[in-house]
Amino acid sequence: MKISLNWLSDYVSWSGTPEQLAEKLTLAGLNVEGVERIEMTFPDVVVGEVLTCERHPDADKLSVTTVFDGEETRQVVCGAPNVRAGLKVLLARTGAVLPGDFKIKKSKIRGVESHGMICSASELRLSAESDGIMELETDRPAGTPADELYGYRDVVLDIEVTPNRPDWLCHYGVAREVAALEGTLLDAPVVWSPGKNATEKPEISVEIDSFADCPRYTAHLARGVKVGPAPLWMRQRLQAVGMRPISNVVDITNYVLLELGQPLHAFDRDRLNGKKIVVRRARAGESLRTLDGADRALSVDDLVIADAQGAVALAGVMGGASSEVGPETQDVLLESAAFAPGLVRVTSRRLQLISESSYRFERGADWDGVELGARRALALLQEHAGARISNAVVDRRDPDRMEHDPVSLRVEQVNRLLGTALTAPAVIDSLQSLGFKCQPLGQASDRDSRHGKIMVSVPGFRRDVLQEVDLIEEVARLHGFEHGAEDHRFRSRASVETRAEDVAVAALRRVLASLGYHEVVTSSFLGREALDRLGLPADDPRQETLAILDPHHGGETLLRTTALPGLLDVARRNLNADRIPPFRLFQYGREFLPAGRRRDDVRHEDERLLPEEPHVLQFAVVGDTGAAYGSLPASLMEAKALAQDLADAIRVPLSLEAADSQPFLRSGQQWRLRAADGREVGWVGALAPAVQRAFDLDVPIVVGSWNLADTDLTPTPARYEPFSRYPAAKRDLSLVVPDGVSYAAIDAVLREHGGPLLQSWELFDHFRGGSLPAGTASLGIRLQFQSAKGSLKGKAVEMAVDAVRSRLEGDLGVTIRA
Amino acid sequence: MPGIDLDGLRREGLAHIEQAGNLEELARARAELLGRKGRLTTELRGLKDVSAEERPALGAGLNTLREELEAAFEARKDQLTAAADAAVIAGADLTLPAVAPVRPGGLHPLPSIIEEICDIFRGLGFSRADGPDVELDYYNFTALNFPDDHPARDIQDTFYIDGKRLLRTQTSPVQVRVMERHAPPLAVVIPGRVYRNEAVDASHAAEFFQIEGLYVDKDVSLVDLRATVREFIDRLYGAGTEIRFRPHFFPFTEPSVEVDMGCFVCKGEGCNVCGRTGWIEIMGAGMVHPNVFKAAGYDPDAYTGFAFGLGIDRIAMLRYGIDDIRLLYENDLRFLQQFRGVR
Repeated sequence: MKISLNWLSDYVSWSGTPEQLAEKLTLAGLNVEGVERIEMTFPDVVVGEVLTCERHPDADKLSVTTVFDGEETRQVVCGAPNVRAGLKVLLARTGAVLPGDFKIKKSKIRGVESHGMICSASELRLSAESDGIMELETDRPAGTPADELYGYRDVVLDIEVTPNRPDWLCHYGVAREVAALEGTLLDAPVVWSPGKNATEKPEISVEIDSFADCPRYTAHLARGVKVGPAPLWMRQRLQAVGMRPISNVVDITNYVLLELGQPLHAFDRDRLNGKKIVVRRARAGESLRTLDGADRALSVDDLVIADAQGAVALAGVMGGASSEVGPETQDVLLESAAFAPGLVRVTSRRLQLISESSYRFERGADWDGVELGARRALALLQEHAGARISNAVVDRRDPDRMEHDPVSLRVEQVNRLLGTALTAPAVIDSLQSLGFKCQPLGQASDRDSRHGKIMVSVPGFRRDVLQEVDLIEEVARLHGFEHGAEDHRFRSRASVETRAEDVAVAALRRVLASLGYHEVVTSSFLGREALDRLGLPADDPRQETLAILDPHHGGETLLRTTALPGLLDVARRNLNADRIPPFRLFQYGREFLPAGRRRDDVRHEDERLLPEEPHVLQFAVVGDTGAAYGSLPASLMEAKALAQDLADAIRVPLSLEAADSQPFLRSGQQWRLRAADGREVGWVGALAPAVQRAFDLDVPIVVGSWNLADTDLTPTPARYEPFSRYPAAKRDLSLVVPDGVSYAAIDAVLREHGGPLLQSWELFDHFRGGSLPAGTASLGIRLQFQSAKGSLKGKAVEMAVDAVRSRLEGDLGVTIRA
Repeated sequence: MPGIDLDGLRREGLAHIEQAGNLEELARARAELLGRKGRLTTELRGLKDVSAEERPALGAGLNTLREELEAAFEARKDQLTAAADAAVIAGADLTLPAVAPVRPGGLHPLPSIIEEICDIFRGLGFSRADGPDVELDYYNFTALNFPDDHPARDIQDTFYIDGKRLLRTQTSPVQVRVMERHAPPLAVVIPGRVYRNEAVDASHAAEFFQIEGLYVDKDVSLVDLRATVREFIDRLYGAGTEIRFRPHFFPFTEPSVEVDMGCFVCKGEGCNVCGRTGWIEIMGAGMVHPNVFKAAGYDPDAYTGFAFGLGIDRIAMLRYGIDDIRLLYENDLRFLQQFRGVR
């Protein structure tokens, strides 16, 4: 909302600079976002008197004039058709600079010297267009600076008005706030009032179908208007706050809207059919051409103003073209009304038509201000458009309308919520300065105390005030927020446990970063084609997605059922940005599964409609990192280690089970993750080559995903177990293992048959090929034996080794070379 | 035993040791003399054939010689090792780039700031809670005292899924969820992703992060809010950072305020960062509206409380001088690597 300080000063005075006023308003909740100085001045432009005017010898359309500028007589060439001797004009002397950086120089026009320029209104930006030069009707002598007649200086505040305060969407409302802040008086604008013996019968009647839709409608007739430009000061004020002047009648309605906040509409009476105005819902199939020239198809949700032939205006949104005021208009029917905010909002949103009027009505109109707005406009029409105002006032209003209930206010509650020690009189002073009427209740002795009760009547322009706390906010606004905080003592009130997941994630992020992974944050949105690229089967639960309606963000529209495409996109974008692989990424985020389990902890029945939102930790090793065990990508084994290390880092059991579970991972190169309770909580594997190509990735990628929300993240408690300090005996086994016998099988044999002395073992060598028979691999396993009771004798160790050897050979068909 | 020439053996041994030009030759020489089949070892073994009279003297002589040679070997070994080290060091260029199997990655600034802020509030007695991204219109608006069909809903352009479901536009709905599940008093912070259905540009993202705070108890006042904000700002931005409370409007708090911080760039003089006002808007806050307490099942006459919300992206942008919010979601490693080691 732009507020002109010139305009504001019609009603209220204040001390200090515009910036100081802006600061005061900001700290009272009218956030001033800008202070703009407007300066329309015309240096070296003066009133001139045309003394002589002759045709230019060499040009039909030019005149050669002599103009007295108060000091000297200048020869000026002029092209305007209306220039003639005896006129008073605005003369730009040589050296003047007109708006648009138009410099006036001494010049020769078709051989005739010209020492200045006679100005049109548009050249001085006093109007948008003009025919010919300005003809002044002024008593001021030649030489009077144009500034004294046409200059304009103003300061305009750009105020952010929150949706609860429609009363601040006008100059008078802001003036009311300034008066309260400054403790000064508020002047009222001049209004029209009907004559004493008003016996005239209304020429037009008004019928309201539903007072719920339209609680009040007034219509006044202004006859014999002379449509023309509005007075200069009005046009300048309108322009200063960003509104284009049109004509006196239209400008006056706009002026009152910006002055008092009451939207008005002027109909050309003679273009209305019949003698009755009806406020009703639009009929199915009805349409209306609005003032902006658009044909609008209406629905029964729209409220219209109709004459005998049909809709002539969209109530509270925009007038119709057919009854628009134009240059020929004689009689104006002035509408001032209140419309239901919700209704105006629905129409305005459906038609995507936001007007100054709809913006105010949907925030709530002041029913009491309807008549004031009309009367203010009538006074201006009388004065500036020569209108004769009919005494016949039509004012239809809801006869059952309840007065706004008074609100009771406990002074104790004010102090309790604000942490203040205000007394009842102080509270009453604040509220009354804002236009509330206060009646202290109870004994006189209570009235000065901090415990009194006050009945507060709410003025019509404050429909946002419904309950006690709304009044407390008003008190807070005026008293500020600066008191008491320094002596505050903190009380700890943590009754909600911090979730294990938050603790775990904090640790996991650091482990991942230290292991070379970069954290990324990707979008919750996803395109359908991303799911197609993953090659998910039709019955995969991730195929069931939620979509957003009517998106404006220019991005994807499905909620991701898997976060993987986001991670792959990051990989691709970085590869395209010439990042040299390998590099490593991770993310922690949500997936949205409408097909997921329904929540059981509901407080609101509709919560069962919400999707499951698993929180997943995902990681990727992008690029080739070499080979492991001959044929496997090293990155695959790194990812396997990572899954185990992450689980270990937060002391949560997690097992990896080699199995094909995800269609987008390479068959035979993936694992399932299982939590301690057996629940499947994720996967790790190499991206299938087809998927890699589909995502336009030219390097191999290994990815993993761990659903933390489904995993019990309670850490396994740590407990000390004694260990042997006696020396360990190491023995190396060299095995030739036929394909099909897994390391897991060897591991199992060692675990079961290693005997009590076998403490641990590790694979220290692995190769295929060379001198080995085809279809076999060589595994070097180092066994470590140890006893808690003493140093081991060689014999005991050999016996244990022999037991293991024979089991490996007998159970698994392994050949032992050493 | 006259057959043993101890002096000759000594001379020969010392010469061998002296002649060894590197550690391998030295090891070979040592094996020849003192090894299992070495000369001296053989002589020592032969003592058993020597007469009892001669044995002690000869034995003592051989042992002395062995010790002397061992010492000579060690001395020569130190010499050769030092020479070898010197050769290695002379050829080494320690300015070559470091090599390691993997270099550390890094953390994204947004989750890091969320953790930092949650840690600050943990220190003030706040625990942490969580709520869904896909929310009911009821929790996001109705329970938060947004009237149906009121322009207050326009402040936040909403992604709707259908008439009932939407993507939360703020973390505030979790206030009601927490209160529904926990009795007062309580103090929680709620970080999370929020969504706005608007065109994306340098200063607007359709998805971004917020942290919500909620504190409810008997007799909580605006002074408690101000003190909490003061303490938080001191811990996040340093003690003495100037702040001011400016009245504002949020449907779910009343009185509502916006908190401004004195611009740390221009110190109040006015610059581009603060839009020439000298102040930077950092959070919204207010006293919990009685209608929100009612929606959550709390008695508004028995309890009061405050709530606040702040944008994480904005904090990151101000702190690191990031001029385009989209950088935070592009995940370009050239951007992310600049925050390596930042917590």
